[in-house]
Amino acid sequence: MRDPVIKLEGIHKTYGSGESAVSAIKEASCEIYSGETVALLGPSGSGKTTLITMIGCIIEPSGGKLHLNGQLIYEGTWQVKDTRKLRRERIGFIFQSHNLIPFLNVRENVTLVPQMNGVSTAEANAQAQSLLEYLGVGDKMEKFPSELSGGQSQRVAIARSLANNPKIILADEPTAALDAERALSVMQLLRSLAHEQEVAIVVVTHDERMLPLFDRILRVEDGYVREEKPAII
Amino acid sequence: MINLAQRDIVHSLGKFVTTAFGVGMLIGVVLIMIGVYRGMAHDAMIVPNDIAPDLWVVQKDTLGPFAENSRLHEDLKYALRGFTGVQEVYPLTFQSLQILQGIKPIRVYAMGYEAGGAFTPYRLSEGRAIAIPHREIIVDTKTKFNLGDRLHLGRNTYTVVGRTHKAVSSGGDPMIYLDLDEAQELQFLFSNEQIRNDRVRGGSPSTATVNTFALRLEEGYATWNVAKEIGRWKHQQVYTAQEQEEILTKNLIERSAKQIGMFTVILLIVSSVIISLIIYTMTIGKMKEIAILKLIGASNFTITKMIGQQSLLLGVLAFIGGNLFAHASADYFPKTIILIPTDAMKLFVVVVVVSILASLSGIRTALRIDPASAIGG
Repeated sequence: MRDPVIKLEGIHKTYGSGESAVSAIKEASCEIYSGETVALLGPSGSGKTTLITMIGCIIEPSGGKLHLNGQLIYEGTWQVKDTRKLRRERIGFIFQSHNLIPFLNVRENVTLVPQMNGVSTAEANAQAQSLLEYLGVGDKMEKFPSELSGGQSQRVAIARSLANNPKIILADEPTAALDAERALSVMQLLRSLAHEQEVAIVVVTHDERMLPLFDRILRVEDGYVREEKPAII
Repeated sequence: MINLAQRDIVHSLGKFVTTAFGVGMLIGVVLIMIGVYRGMAHDAMIVPNDIAPDLWVVQKDTLGPFAENSRLHEDLKYALRGFTGVQEVYPLTFQSLQILQGIKPIRVYAMGYEAGGAFTPYRLSEGRAIAIPHREIIVDTKTKFNLGDRLHLGRNTYTVVGRTHKAVSSGGDPMIYLDLDEAQELQFLFSNEQIRNDRVRGGSPSTATVNTFALRLEEGYATWNVAKEIGRWKHQQVYTAQEQEEILTKNLIERSAKQIGMFTVILLIVSSVIISLIIYTMTIGKMKEIAILKLIGASNFTITKMIGQQSLLLGVLAFIGGNLFAHASADYFPKTIILIPTDAMKLFVVVVVVSILASLSGIRTALRIDPASAIGG
């Protein structure tokens, strides 16, 4: 039996305290496995972003347990010393707008995280080149983000998220800024990446047209997370 | 490892260089202010150094002739020449005058000396010394008079026979040199009515007065000993060259130095505040990027290093720009500006410290940025 790469056990998050306390996530328990694409669905304000930021160790849960790659990361308090190092080494992020660093060129954007992890410049460059070529933007290595189209930027952002060879990729509405054709192309790319490279990809999305491309759907509503059956493609 | 500070600067080079140039102007002004002080100290010593006496004899209980008024009868020179160890006695007068250069009035500082002899209390850059003590004058190049030019002083016209370069008084006014008798005549240039009035009152003031005697001693005589003897027998104030220098540099320019010091401190504070604001604004402008960096795992050290390096580079660039600005503009100031490397080095250390301190507000802001703010639209 496979071990989940992401395991939530009764995770919850409350902002504020006393009478002004707001419960963003009341209870979330689920397991996500490598090679899976999982959609996080839900209306605005339902707690999707809160959930993904807790999985990404960006905000601290108020309670419950969080395991990543089989390691207990949170139980009442962080169980790892440096959550930023954990993100840098184990998780890839893709954002709504590509969020590339504007003063770094494509190659530098992709090699930044590996270099922060101690990978040599030559090795990071070689890896960036193969990733960018795989994603169809190999000829844009020396371009700056401002010189790329929306689709190209998002492909570079995907390359960046893969640069540290993560087993988990968290994406926050990665297709929101793209037209339907490019959005479909990016989602297909993420799906094939998940399957080919055995990466668990969790995607926050509003776009129900993309749902057939996901292996699983988690709906977040009123602070609770429940699983829906995906449509068959 | 990618140098984030360098990449950011290169990406917005024009903006960064313009900012550094603006801060550089401020640092340049600080350097010029220090240069003004150095210039004042330097200018104050030009005339005494050119005269180069061993002793100064001035009116009793005064700090003359530069810091306070001093009047002595000229015939005291005969008595002074009689003292053991005294080789030469040079009577001198000093007065501020306003003369016309074309239609433009300029202030000058006139020295009267016994012209025609070997003693020339100036360093000529061109022309000759006053050979005939009759309507000949030496001027500094700063007066813009040329050799052969004629200028009017009092009721007489003088011909420029020699020029000095950068000979100025402690106040920065260019020097002119003329014969002692003519200088005394200028000092006591009364109207005919006043002369008549003085005669009716029972006499007219003697014009045979000088402001100081510059004494040179024979070799082997101790200046303090000769000074003591003159003070004891002639009841006049005697200063050594060292004491006169102290009077000039401490008493005369001390207040101005304090004033300049205050301005310099204020300018440094203003520069620090401006650098802080610039670094803070630069950090605020990169909030999104810093949030992304934090989110993808950049350490606080990486972010602190980026802001610190930018701040330091801004300070260093501004210092270089300020230095170039100060050196390029120093000669255009009406007063002497002296820029010395040790002052620049001290200012460099101050700029580096200020830059580091200035980056703290930016770093503090950057470290507070929530990485979660990178998520969302």
